[in-house]
Amino acid sequence: MLRVTNLKAAYGKIEALHGISFHVEKGEIVTLIGANGAGKSTTLKALMRLPPPESAVVTAGDIEFDGVSILGVSAHNVVSDLKMTLVPEGRHIFGNLTVMENLQLAAWSRKDKGAAKDIDRIFDIFPRLAERAKQHSDTLSGGEQQMLAVGRALMTKCSVLLLDEPSMGLAPLIMYDMFRTLKKLNADGLTIVVVEQNARLALEVADRAYVLDTGEIIAEGPAGDLLQKPEIRAAYLGA
Amino acid sequence: MQRYALNILFPVAAVVLVVLAQVGWLDRYVLTVVTFIGINCIFAVSLNVVNGYMGEFSCGHGGFMCVGAYAGSLLSVAFFTDSRLFGASLFPPESAPFLFPLVLVGASLAAALFGLIVALPSFNTRDDYLAIITIAANYIIISVVENIDAIGGPRGFSGMKRAVNAMSDVAELPWMLIWTIVGLFVCVATIRRLMTSTYGKGISAVSQNEVAAEMMGINTNRVKIMAFMVSSGLAGLSGALYAHVYGYVNAQSFNILRSTEGLVMVYLGGMGSTSGVLMAAVAFTLLVELLRFVIPWLNDLLHAASLLPASYELSQIWKWVFIPLLLILLMQFRPEGLLGNRELTQVFPRLKRWITFR
Repeated sequence: MLRVTNLKAAYGKIEALHGISFHVEKGEIVTLIGANGAGKSTTLKALMRLPPPESAVVTAGDIEFDGVSILGVSAHNVVSDLKMTLVPEGRHIFGNLTVMENLQLAAWSRKDKGAAKDIDRIFDIFPRLAERAKQHSDTLSGGEQQMLAVGRALMTKCSVLLLDEPSMGLAPLIMYDMFRTLKKLNADGLTIVVVEQNARLALEVADRAYVLDTGEIIAEGPAGDLLQKPEIRAAYLGA
Repeated sequence: MQRYALNILFPVAAVVLVVLAQVGWLDRYVLTVVTFIGINCIFAVSLNVVNGYMGEFSCGHGGFMCVGAYAGSLLSVAFFTDSRLFGASLFPPESAPFLFPLVLVGASLAAALFGLIVALPSFNTRDDYLAIITIAANYIIISVVENIDAIGGPRGFSGMKRAVNAMSDVAELPWMLIWTIVGLFVCVATIRRLMTSTYGKGISAVSQNEVAAEMMGINTNRVKIMAFMVSSGLAGLSGALYAHVYGYVNAQSFNILRSTEGLVMVYLGGMGSTSGVLMAAVAFTLLVELLRFVIPWLNDLLHAASLLPASYELSQIWKWVFIPLLLILLMQFRPEGLLGNRELTQVFPRLKRWITFR
């Protein structure tokens, strides 16, 4: 479904990705793990075609979505036409809007009339959001904000969901809840690419994983296999 | 019925104002000040769309007022008067009172078009760069106008005075007060409609976080350009009214000082609060008029107390010491402005019983 070949990307003169290749198949959960500065977020932003200065400029290689190059597509069209969206690192909910308005806004690019029904579905997945529907979203707790960020992304009716550090700043219990929800959404057909510092958690949930190190992929394979590899355990799982 | 109390109060106040002006209870000075309050309200509220709701920083709003003032004046001259510039009038002068809205719409569209020209290159940059580009645009617009001799160049332009006279010939009414009230109403209604629409929510989203907005499928560039065009178009409306109220325009009336006045009104009222900015525009205009009397009075007082050398007179230029001082004090003690980014009905929820239009 997503195929990245020999992708190079740079911030100005500094190359952040030195030619990485990976693919994501329909219905999979794929995780990218790695240390700070490995290029995980850069990869997600490149997939979303975010313009600089937010994102690095792709200097070589290709990104294909269902076999078609998307290098010339702008970010909002990746969301509205390709049905792929990103839950950015740090959530970035619209704090001056209510929970309800955040969700309604996310239906911006949709032409169908099913938005109201989908909001009910989001409230089924995250009942806490239903309780907070009329509250300004900057009054939510960190966990609730993450729920809103995911709910908002689902409102775009995406078929591929990218998540950048969804566990950041969350209490362990809430973190596990979030990943359980992601697993459930995946079972319903959502393709998920998740970038995570918490490698153990990510590997337990994912089907396949890629390990990034300073802009290169140094290991890949089924998540369960990587969990067993001694060098991965030593470098990323602290075991 | 109670819910409509304020909705009814506004038109009643407007009618009372017009009637008072008509029977001559308001002298010319008071009438001009009242009209100018309305114009400043339009100018400030329109700037608030970009600097308040959208969270960008435009510093050259006066430039768009200038475009509106000259475009409106030229349309008036072409429509309702025989002139050397455009030849015979396009419409009979008697139609001026009915067709004047066309002038206002035309002026707004012209200013919105200039807004588009400024916005297209500048929104590829961010933040501070927009401020710099808009200041530059402000200077460019004024210099260009000053260098076109056909519209008076640095001497200014006064042809539209005859169009205003044409209206008075049809019926002796305070026409410009009426048009200003209509213009203000249209302006506030447009902004309220815009901000409560999905598009308006998009503007809020862009102001909060552009990446997140883009990830919702929002074409952030288009939203920003649209908001900028609405803002500059309404500034053009205020310019067209200004030109016809005074019956004379000069490009220097719309220089960086005018843009600064707009900024003061927006930050005084509270960014992103239309009702706050309206209150600030009224207060600010009255304050400036008050200084007209206070400065000579202060001058006399200081001379009487021998605190000023006898050869030095405190002039009206000191207005430009007091106004920036107000801005500094504001940033020190109430940086969020009168109402912060909340509307009057959010600060005083009980008001909601009296008003439906919020």
